[in-house]
Amino acid sequence: MEINWKKLTLFGVLVAAFLIAPLVIELGSNVMNLLVMLFILIILSQSWNMIGGYAGQINLGLAAFFGCGVLITHFVWKAGMPIFLASIAGGLAAAVLAGIIGLPTLRLKGAYFAIGTFALAEVCRIITAGAFTSIEMPGSYASSFSLVSRFYFGLSVAVIAIAVVHIIVNSKLGFGILAIRDDEQAAQVMGVNIFKHKIIALLVSAFLAGMAGGVHAFLRLSFFDITTVFNPVWTFEPLMAVIIGGAGTLIGPVIGSVFLVILSEIFALTLGQAHLIVFGFMFVLVVMYFRNGLVGSIDQIRQLVTRIN
Amino acid sequence: MENITQIIAYGVITGAVYGLVAMGLGLIMGVMKFLNIAHGSFIVLSGYIAFWLLKLWGIDPYLSIPLVLIAMFAIGLLFYKLTLSPLLKLPSVGARMDLSMLITFGLIYIMDNTMAMVWTPNIRSAVTSYTGESVNLLGARFSITGLYGLGIAVFTAVVLYVLLSKTYFGKHVRAATQDAQAASLCGVNVHRTYLISCGIAIALAGVAGVIIVTSYSINPTGGLSWLLIALVVMILAGEGNMYGILPSGIIVGLIESVSVLTVGIAFRQAAALIIFILILMFRPQGLFSRGE
Repeated sequence: MEINWKKLTLFGVLVAAFLIAPLVIELGSNVMNLLVMLFILIILSQSWNMIGGYAGQINLGLAAFFGCGVLITHFVWKAGMPIFLASIAGGLAAAVLAGIIGLPTLRLKGAYFAIGTFALAEVCRIITAGAFTSIEMPGSYASSFSLVSRFYFGLSVAVIAIAVVHIIVNSKLGFGILAIRDDEQAAQVMGVNIFKHKIIALLVSAFLAGMAGGVHAFLRLSFFDITTVFNPVWTFEPLMAVIIGGAGTLIGPVIGSVFLVILSEIFALTLGQAHLIVFGFMFVLVVMYFRNGLVGSIDQIRQLVTRIN
Repeated sequence: MENITQIIAYGVITGAVYGLVAMGLGLIMGVMKFLNIAHGSFIVLSGYIAFWLLKLWGIDPYLSIPLVLIAMFAIGLLFYKLTLSPLLKLPSVGARMDLSMLITFGLIYIMDNTMAMVWTPNIRSAVTSYTGESVNLLGARFSITGLYGLGIAVFTAVVLYVLLSKTYFGKHVRAATQDAQAASLCGVNVHRTYLISCGIAIALAGVAGVIIVTSYSINPTGGLSWLLIALVVMILAGEGNMYGILPSGIIVGLIESVSVLTVGIAFRQAAALIIFILILMFRPQGLFSRGE
């Protein structure tokens, strides 16, 4: 694997800046909260990118894996485990859930996988609504609450997510996954085990989504309405971030997430609920006319400029 | 015994609505190989149109069906022209289906939030003088609105059957479904056939929306749960099989009414997913397809 030192340095500098920022300047709880939510969005969109962008399987039920991660992390953490192990447990539980729906549907061609994951998320929401109403951590956790630890935890999981996706995509496994996305039949002829590769991509993706759920459970100690963690918004937003940023690229989902968070902060104040309609239009236009997202558009512009020169 | 007839009656009535909900989705999926994720939102939109016709002009919901039908047909034509027809340029069917999913996914965002702004997020339903009344038939109680829904669902299914199997237009649709290129070589205007079938599909969502606003209730985000039901019914009938949709809707309704009695009302829709996974494992081509 060839290492791109320029990009790695840039990545390192950015991470270091985030690491030092809370120590040097007082960010205030609003900004800190926003940043942790940004990290969650980055992890989720990296997760969607793994299955949707690289493996080419449209997942409409990311909320199921996220919500599963939140619930399992919450209960394992409450049982006295450290949060890092608890969120790994959440990720594993999400991967098991993904296996249940992935094993039958990924064998089939067509829209079955999308339908299956969508149905899974809706049914998880219905079942949890029937099972419990609100869950909360004991008071001792609330008294030792500090946003800085949430910030560092979110940052580290986001860095891990990006690194995992990068390593997988640049391995032999990742080349197989990319080959399936580009041409399933040709990949099969070349001897790529299609089903195995798709399942691995799905499990990695679900594990990351479950870890994002772990960060969310760490940030919000109690949930008055637990069904909100299975809300389709948790599927919509990462999907939007990936498509707008550029699916199938490592940096695209990160750019898309930052773009979405900044835009929603600006628009939510000026437009109110109408900003969601604006996002919807933007998303549809990107899908129809700029299929490669922001990253792809930048490349196209760069090509145009070099051609003129 | 009385209990059992009541369960069957409830199952058939809800199941007929489920079949009606899935018809438009199945038509677009079968004919054009597009998956319309925004189907539920179209249903809710037509429910709001019927609600407004009742509230503003006092038109009875069942009499407003033709008006809603025309409005939704026009919306369907627009929907096809603006979002789906550009996708037909894509060479591979897989890419078309994936992009249609993404586009209609964005459409949910647009439609649901617009509806929430226009009609507020409150739960609405069309309340008429006969809402809540019921009749005794064959030893079971039927609500009047439920019976109307059943009648309209069966009538719509019969009309659709006649349209697809007995008319010239239906022949075009079936030809375009089997092989669009060959049909086009034989002189079928594939684009026009697609356009009109998309209009019909959204109009079918319109009929379902009117039934839902009278016998259930609607809210702007409720489209997703109707979409889930429509997807399960469509998979049960088999992708692209229009004739199996009403029977499989009734099967889902019956399973649901039995599970209300056995596992409780909170988990009744979980039965839908279990059916769905079992179908995918053992009969992915659906219950009513002969297989390929």
